[in-house]
Amino acid sequence: MANIKQERNREAVIPTSSMSDIAFLLLLFFMVSTVFVQEKKFWVERERWPIAESIERIPRNHTTTIYVMRDETILIDDIPTRIESSEDVFVSSTLIRKKEEDPELVVCFRTDKDTKYGVMSDVMRQLQDAQTLVVTFETQKRAN
Amino acid sequence: MKIGRKRKAKAEIPTSSMSDIAFLLIVFFMATTKFDVKEGIKIVLPQASAEGSEQTQSLALTEKEMTRLQITEDGQLAVNKDAPRVFTSEEIDVLIQQKKGINPQMIFKVITDREASYNEMIRVVDRLKAADIEKISLSTN
Repeated sequence: MANIKQERNREAVIPTSSMSDIAFLLLLFFMVSTVFVQEKKFWVERERWPIAESIERIPRNHTTTIYVMRDETILIDDIPTRIESSEDVFVSSTLIRKKEEDPELVVCFRTDKDTKYGVMSDVMRQLQDAQTLVVTFETQKRAN
Repeated sequence: MKIGRKRKAKAEIPTSSMSDIAFLLIVFFMATTKFDVKEGIKIVLPQASAEGSEQTQSLALTEKEMTRLQITEDGQLAVNKDAPRVFTSEEIDVLIQQKKGINPQMIFKVITDREASYNEMIRVVDRLKAADIEKISLSTN
């Protein structure tokens, strides 16, 4: 009669030696993808944006942001400017240069909700002059 | 007397807690990372055209084709030739649906006073976008 050996129960072991490698890889990913946003001197805080419902998500590439403050200061490329007459064409000249660099340029407005519409109208007129026609008004999402 | 020589201790860096440190750092970065996606109302502006140029065309549109939404300095809304009054967002929704019922291709012209707040313009445009209106014109007086 054949002697049947009983198989010994093997211990279930999860290999953990590569755990730290995986952890460091993840760590590297987060370190590379993290961008710390530095607050600028001129800034429109998120709480000051208008609230809207029908918002779209816009990918960051191809975008440039124009800040419009309540005191009608316009900030483009971190340079403050104002539109007081038809000779103030800093916005359009900057956008013409940017449009040459990136033809798919989208302008995002971060405007204080209490800004008078007149200044926005003037800026949009300069956008049209610079043939930068796709614009986004950044808003907060209405909480349901 | 026999003096025993001390054995040299091996220099070792303890690595057993390495993964704990790494995971702690990961948790920190996961908690602080915020993907900066822009969100807002997208509009395509019309081409700029010099007044009186050959490309400029004057079109006379009737109320069946175009609705004028005029935002006054104090945030009231005047629809076509009606007197301005305060509109709630729900009332704007009802108005848009009425106009859309008359003409599904209705053009909405939002005329915002230069002294009116930007927030009022966004409120009206948001309701138009929510109703899937594609033909929106922005202007000022």
